[in-house]
Amino acid sequence: MDSSPELQRFLEQEKQNMMMKELVGKLTSICWDKCITSAPGSKFSSGESTCLTNCTQRYLDMTMIIAKRLQM
Amino acid sequence: MDASPDLQRLLEQEKERMMVNEIVSKLTSECWDKCITGAPGSKFSSGETTCITNCALRFLDMSQLIARKLGGSQ
Repeated sequence: MDSSPELQRFLEQEKQNMMMKELVGKLTSICWDKCITSAPGSKFSSGESTCLTNCTQRYLDMTMIIAKRLQM
Repeated sequence: MDASPDLQRLLEQEKERMMVNEIVSKLTSECWDKCITGAPGSKFSSGETTCITNCALRFLDMSQLIARKLGGSQ
């Protein structure tokens, strides 16, 4: 059985989808812990919103930094 | 059904890529906990950047150290 290009494309797509879902779940959890430090209100305060934005960005930045380091 | 060489090669490559992804993911998580101790800012402070670099490098050092220890004890 040859691994056809279509199969490879499909597997790659599926893998990307799963990784995205996992990342969303992980970031939600991490940034919740970092940014929502007191009782949740009826909406996010501006401080909390800013923190959540920063948190997401910084975590992704860090993933890139570390991926680059590991490539040595 | 024998696993064709093409398929074996593909699987081996995928396995290796997933392992690297897993290490990056784990390391990011560990270094995040160690280095980002307050609310994240609009960019990393220089202290945070230094910490992240050190964290990744020390982790690699540690992996090599442990591999050496385990190799030596055989």
